[in-house]
Amino acid sequence: MKKPLLDEKRMGALLLFPSLITILVIAIWPVLRSFWISLHDVRLNNPTKTQVHADYGINLEKFSEVYPVLKRNLDAAAGEAEPDVKQELTALKERAEKVNGRLMNDPDIARKLEQVDELLLEGDPVPEELRTATLTKETADEIMADLKEIRDVLSRLAEEKKLKDDTLSGLGRGLSESVIEPNFVGLGYYVKLIKDKRMWDALENTFVFTVISVSLELILGLAIAIFINRKFFGRGMVRAAVLVPWAIPTVISALMWKFMFDGQNGIVAKWFETIGLVSDMGELLTTKFGSMFAIIFADVWKTTPFMALLLLAGLQTIPRSLYEAADVDGASKLRQFIHITLPMLKSTILVALLFRTLDAFRIFDLVYVLTGGGPANATETISIYAYKTMFAQMNFGEGSALSVVVFLCVALISGVFVKLLGADLISDGRGK
Amino acid sequence: MQKRTGILFYPGMILLLAVLLFPLLWQFVASIKPPSELFGDEAFRFYTSNPSLENYELVFTLRPFATYMWNSTVVAVLTTVYCIVIASFAAFAIARLHFPGKSLVLGLVLAVSMFPQIATIAPIFMFMDSVDLTNSWIGLVIPYTTFALPLAIWNLTTFYRKIPADLEEAAKIDGATIMQTFWKVFFPLAVPGTFTTAILVFIAAWNEFLFALTINTEEAWKTVPVGIALFQGQFTVPWGEIAAASVIVTIPLVIMVLIFQRRIIDGITSGAVKE
Repeated sequence: MKKPLLDEKRMGALLLFPSLITILVIAIWPVLRSFWISLHDVRLNNPTKTQVHADYGINLEKFSEVYPVLKRNLDAAAGEAEPDVKQELTALKERAEKVNGRLMNDPDIARKLEQVDELLLEGDPVPEELRTATLTKETADEIMADLKEIRDVLSRLAEEKKLKDDTLSGLGRGLSESVIEPNFVGLGYYVKLIKDKRMWDALENTFVFTVISVSLELILGLAIAIFINRKFFGRGMVRAAVLVPWAIPTVISALMWKFMFDGQNGIVAKWFETIGLVSDMGELLTTKFGSMFAIIFADVWKTTPFMALLLLAGLQTIPRSLYEAADVDGASKLRQFIHITLPMLKSTILVALLFRTLDAFRIFDLVYVLTGGGPANATETISIYAYKTMFAQMNFGEGSALSVVVFLCVALISGVFVKLLGADLISDGRGK
Repeated sequence: MQKRTGILFYPGMILLLAVLLFPLLWQFVASIKPPSELFGDEAFRFYTSNPSLENYELVFTLRPFATYMWNSTVVAVLTTVYCIVIASFAAFAIARLHFPGKSLVLGLVLAVSMFPQIATIAPIFMFMDSVDLTNSWIGLVIPYTTFALPLAIWNLTTFYRKIPADLEEAAKIDGATIMQTFWKVFFPLAVPGTFTTAILVFIAAWNEFLFALTINTEEAWKTVPVGIALFQGQFTVPWGEIAAASVIVTIPLVIMVLIFQRRIIDGITSGAVKE
């Protein structure tokens, strides 16, 4: 038999390679990167803060958009101003030219600026690599001092009504914004978040939701599993029906419940009012208690079946003979449950709990659609808060800090469960 | 299992099914009611005397629902195919080959499946934005790998482990290389497991919301969950259309669940339950 070209070890590495590289690039790198972003002031609605900047730099696109206009307007304004103002404006123009000269001193920047000018003139988009250039700290400091002076003088003149309109002070501000400063803020966001009541409230909401819904799902799921763990007519149909809530998109089930919980036309809201669970139909989605109840209810409806199926599979692995022996010994059903069923189901229950707890803790779509985090943030979970910070306020730095908090909580929860489960979770299955 | 059914069993079962299936029934009723019966006194009636398919029509004419469906289908199919292919190699290696660091790999896969989506979204969004992949199919397929690949590897590994070791040894004795063993012995035997895993990955990708919400924001690139969630009415929530759209999305899933019920249950329980 000829020796294979690749031994098992190399072959294993080769077969694993595509998956490992994908996981590395698509999951591990983003999480590390999130942490890195959370140490920086990154805002997508501010052109100089869209990226992590470790160095000083200049936004060439912005500069070459604003600089010529500013120069022209300064000339024009100087032409019709009082002598003292005219003097100031001329000085400012010289300053601006000085800044431009400094930039042009660097051959790399000069070349880039020229290309950017051309592109802007043609109305073409400026590609990423031309948009910015790096500056040394010294240059940046000097340029910033000059630009700050220009900005301050122009806004003072505008305030004193010595300029015809606000254009010049706007341009001055615009030009000073073209300098990019390093936006490293260190652990600043975390320090801020520790004192942030909204974050603690969000964590509390998430925690309350997770604990209540997962416990209900476990209890109900176990009850249902025991209930259907027998032979009966239509068993396949029942198991399929039980799978339906699990299979339909969370967003759709959230919309279904939103409709049924509606304060005016919702049938479930009406039933709850009729049986006295709530005093008024409208309470379900408009009060703190009602809305938390609503999301827990919807989540329990959707996931209990899943829990029941997992536990049912576990139940079916318990040898029947154990119960028969217990029957012979005269043990009651309750004792059988406590001494046979629960211990035998332990690892299934823990695995199911682990995954459900993590899912519940990460919850986003159900809450986003059903209550949007409201009323008055009463159902805002930590993921929702992070999402809003990132995509509504465009504050990616702080949002990333929040998402790192979610990550750390999830890691903590898994750590506890993995400890409880031991090596069982990833044992390689050959030892048996 | 062998327990006999008592007197209270069937009524209990019917109650359970009623609770589970009522929202679907209600959604269906709402979808065929004319708008006037969705509000006011008639809102609570279980039937309608004027059933109409108007809502179904509106979903396709007033809204680009067919586009949403197409986007969801393409993205979910691409994700499934890509993940199943590379996960099959990985699962075979983890389950059948001897090399150091296997538990570590499996542990890593498990850990990644626990990552919260929100913790990866900022860099992924910024990356997609910088390479102009927002509002595209690939822009979703790539991030969907985060949850789909661990799910696929985990499930497939379980299935590959169930294949008897004798076959592997027989192949070895006959002089088959590792790749031949994989293609000619294991892969054909793992087809049912692969199929099951594909269903689970497909459902997960079809239902995904957060990435789709943030990355594909243009109407023409939205997926079904995002499209429906953002249905807007001018003055009121368009419940009739939402109901019709939900029914359209739910029916294929219900059919799939009915046909593959056994397999899906196998799939979702295989990782969690030791036999």
